[in-house]
Amino acid sequence: MTLLLAVIVTVIFAVGVYLLLGRELKGMAMGIFLLSHGANLGILAMSGQPVRLTATGPTPLGPPVLTEATQPVDPLPQALILTAIVISFAVTAFLLTLLVATFRRADHLGADELANDDRPTVLTTP
Amino acid sequence: MQLTPLALIMMSVFAPAIAGLVTLFLPRDRTTPRTLIALVGLALPVAALLYFAQTLGVGAVEPASLTIPFVPSFNLDLAFNPDPLGMFFALLVAGVGTLIVLYARAYFGDDPDSLFRFYPTLGFFATAMLGVVLADNMLAMLLFWELTSVSSFLLIGWERNDRKAVRLAFQALAVTGMGGLALLGGIILLALATGEWSFSAAIPALAGPHESLPAANLIPWAFALMFLGGATKSAQWPFHFWLPGAMAAPTPVSAYLHSATMVKAGVYLFGRLSPAFLGVDFWAATLISVGALTMLLGAYLALRSTELKKIFAYTTVSQLGLFTCMFGLGAFTYHDEPNLVWPVTQILNHALYKAPLFLMAGAIAHAVHVKSLTGLRGFARTNPLLAWITLAAAYGLAAGPFTLSFAAKEAFLYQIYHAIEHEPLLWIVAGMAVLTSVCNVAIFVRFLTTFLARPDAEHAAEHHHDHDHAHDGWSVWLWLPALFIVAWQFAGGVAPSLIERFILPVETHALYWSHLPTVLDAIAHPSPPLAMSGVAVLLGVLVGVLPVLRRPVADPHDSIFPASVSFLSRTGWGVFSSIQTGNLRHYIYFTLTAFLLGMIAAALKDPAFLEWPALASLWAAPTGFIIASLCLVALVIAASLSLPIVNSRIVRVLMLGAVGMSVTGIYLIYEAPDLALTQLLFEIISIILFLLVLRMIPEEPPLAPVTGRIGRAAFSMIVGLAIGWTVLQAGAHADSSPGPAKLGDWFLTHAHYGSEQTNGRGGGGDNVVNVILVDFRGYDTLGETTVLAIAAMGIFSLIAAVPRRRRDRAHAVNPEWLTSSLLRTSMRLILPLGLLFAAYLFFKGHNEPGGGFIAGLVASVVLATYRMAKGPEALRRLLPIKPGALAATGLMIALATAVAPVAFGLPVLTSRTGDIPLAGADPFHFSTVVFFDLGVLIVVIAVSVGVINRLTEELET
Repeated sequence: MTLLLAVIVTVIFAVGVYLLLGRELKGMAMGIFLLSHGANLGILAMSGQPVRLTATGPTPLGPPVLTEATQPVDPLPQALILTAIVISFAVTAFLLTLLVATFRRADHLGADELANDDRPTVLTTP
Repeated sequence: MQLTPLALIMMSVFAPAIAGLVTLFLPRDRTTPRTLIALVGLALPVAALLYFAQTLGVGAVEPASLTIPFVPSFNLDLAFNPDPLGMFFALLVAGVGTLIVLYARAYFGDDPDSLFRFYPTLGFFATAMLGVVLADNMLAMLLFWELTSVSSFLLIGWERNDRKAVRLAFQALAVTGMGGLALLGGIILLALATGEWSFSAAIPALAGPHESLPAANLIPWAFALMFLGGATKSAQWPFHFWLPGAMAAPTPVSAYLHSATMVKAGVYLFGRLSPAFLGVDFWAATLISVGALTMLLGAYLALRSTELKKIFAYTTVSQLGLFTCMFGLGAFTYHDEPNLVWPVTQILNHALYKAPLFLMAGAIAHAVHVKSLTGLRGFARTNPLLAWITLAAAYGLAAGPFTLSFAAKEAFLYQIYHAIEHEPLLWIVAGMAVLTSVCNVAIFVRFLTTFLARPDAEHAAEHHHDHDHAHDGWSVWLWLPALFIVAWQFAGGVAPSLIERFILPVETHALYWSHLPTVLDAIAHPSPPLAMSGVAVLLGVLVGVLPVLRRPVADPHDSIFPASVSFLSRTGWGVFSSIQTGNLRHYIYFTLTAFLLGMIAAALKDPAFLEWPALASLWAAPTGFIIASLCLVALVIAASLSLPIVNSRIVRVLMLGAVGMSVTGIYLIYEAPDLALTQLLFEIISIILFLLVLRMIPEEPPLAPVTGRIGRAAFSMIVGLAIGWTVLQAGAHADSSPGPAKLGDWFLTHAHYGSEQTNGRGGGGDNVVNVILVDFRGYDTLGETTVLAIAAMGIFSLIAAVPRRRRDRAHAVNPEWLTSSLLRTSMRLILPLGLLFAAYLFFKGHNEPGGGFIAGLVASVVLATYRMAKGPEALRRLLPIKPGALAATGLMIALATAVAPVAFGLPVLTSRTGDIPLAGADPFHFSTVVFFDLGVLIVVIAVSVGVINRLTEELET
């Protein structure tokens, strides 16, 4: 399981970074969205696998709810990820709004062109 | 009332600053009371210190009884030690300061604004300087030391609108400030080497055998850093350039700070440390060479200057070099004593001729508005009083017979002569000393010949015109202090016993001569030093009379500071502009490259990081899990890889959604129901947002093909692999390491019931993740809710609400909202059921998967769907509060819940749990964290629904 998780994180991070290094801001926003998934899964890996290795073979663990009969998994990474998901939602929403505002101002979303754009960054309302 | 020794010292040190502050309360035009208060501020220390010396004796009081603990954890105490050296300097500072107060009153005339500014600054400086020379604790000394730099900065930049003056002030502050930093380093090393933080304990420890010290190997470094500190302050080569620059200050300041007192702080430090560093090999070599070089350079530059204050500044530099050299020569021995001859008198002597010279420069500028020697031809005829006082002081500069200066110069020459017996190379220093004397004599001769010359016709006319100054009773103080001080020069030269009465109690090395030598003593006992003086006088008169070496030269060192500043700013700009390109992509490359370098460093440090973990811990899982997760992996990989390839925006967003949904599946496999629910709902809302935003941005023409795609892909792959590898290692070790118990286990045992570790209090809930969020890490959740609310505020301000008129017009054009009637009708069922489900999740959250976030998201999805089906007006009827206000309300509820327990004397975010019995049903589990969760829920709804609604409105109009 950990191996599969590692593969997923690798792919997500590689694509996320690739998008982040692109030339247009929409792709960058998608890249950041992907990266947050990858980071969350990375934290999840730290809870170990959702099974326990015993002499008789692997035994599944249960969710971190005390009323469940099975042995629970590590709850801490889950709590951390829950916080991270909410924050990344806030970031995504803000970033997307920023894209709209930027487009209204500059009429394009090219990263290189924006870097060379030395107009004052005054926000105008439509 | 009996004053304790500590009270006397504290009064002496702080009286000037307090008096200066008091003058600020007077109205600006009350100059006379202002002057008198400032005068008391400086006369009081003189009286107190003299009383101290009379009743208690100099150096007889134990420093321990003069200590106030200040910051003991930093070894910083306000400890004082009025030993002979400190007492001498303190009396010099306070005594000259008293005269400067009177002089300043005459110098600034009755310009009330200048006096209003001047006296507080002067008092501030005097306190700082008294602190430097009296402090026993080395850190306290440094504190005062830095304050003198600050006051010097303020006074050099006196003309606040003069850019040149401000630049020179900055130069002085930078040089002395950096020196102060070096001194701090030196003090720390010295304290580490000896284990002592006060001079009175550290110096005897250093003077003893070094084997017993805690860290004797640090002593050379301590010496080097402390030398730097003293050399910058006392204007030693190559840092001397700041002192002539400091002449931009008003003349009272030049006379006081930049000749008589502050610049001697470095010399004071060398004198204070000289017993300690005698054992350091290069103490003598450094001090003698740097001092002698400074001495000759200063004298030469003084000879090549014409401006009065410049001449006196460079001779000050020269004299400071002499003092440094003098303490260096003290490292040799003569008759088993340190080779120091009347060092304190030497320092006093300088003040007794240099302060009058500066005072007279100010007086002359005041009287005839001439600042340069060349403009003063015939001055002795037009203004004999000022001219003759100036000449008397200049005679002291030339160390002529019947002045104290003569004795001092003889003492210095004797010192060199004695040291030559040990080290013949010092003949070079003897030569330099003679050349310095030549310059000084020549300067005096030039003053004499210029003043006595026949005045130029037009100059004479000018002088007489300028006599119609408004003179009041104070104007005598322009020249009276100088006359008073210079009188002591001659008193000391003619009748040394007059001076000795005062100086002997504080003199540190007066053993070679039992009394100060006069010119008669010197002639009665002819020796090589007398011959050197004779040669110097002959050559000096020659140089002074002949028209040689008269053209002013600029000191090449003056360009050091501007050049360093421009070098630093140019280099800084170069580095800045090569890193801060303004291009987002470059920043990402920089950051990730740094990350990769960190990974490489980690792998080098711990090679186990690169080992492949045991296979069993990577694969073990029930069969069903493996198949499901393999499918998810395939889905994630396919969806992710399609993102950079596909061109259609809609498809890309849907692929992004596919990745998110697969991640939800992974959370399920990892037994994280809360995460799966949250992720699922956030994913829905995020995808809706993405689609809305993309619709607002028209399809752009494809950008020109990006070059370097392969490099970009390779770099991304490396980053991905590095992070993936880290995840693999982390996961494998989480399973295999027997290590200490996980933090998670602690939360598992404390989620519901407490233990003695938590005073018996548990979280009271069964859903451990939820309990961690609202209870154990409640602060974190509060912060996160705040972030969410702040993001919402940012969003609402970035995209302003559509004006109502425009909105209504848009809806009038398109009154029937174009959605399927099926959806509209089914909303009647979806809305109540959805909100009911949200409420269920909300209340169940403490014990089972659910909670504020999830319930809020469910409600948001339902409301967003409702808005799609029925249009904006319907939503506004259902939720009539503005989203910004809603977010603020939610945040306030969460904050109030967090703070409420404080009213009951409980810690912030404490919760209480109980079961409410329900008739005919399971008891209702109720916890006060519900209110906290309610705030979270409201913020989530406000943000999600608000953003979706706002963006949709934008699209519709």
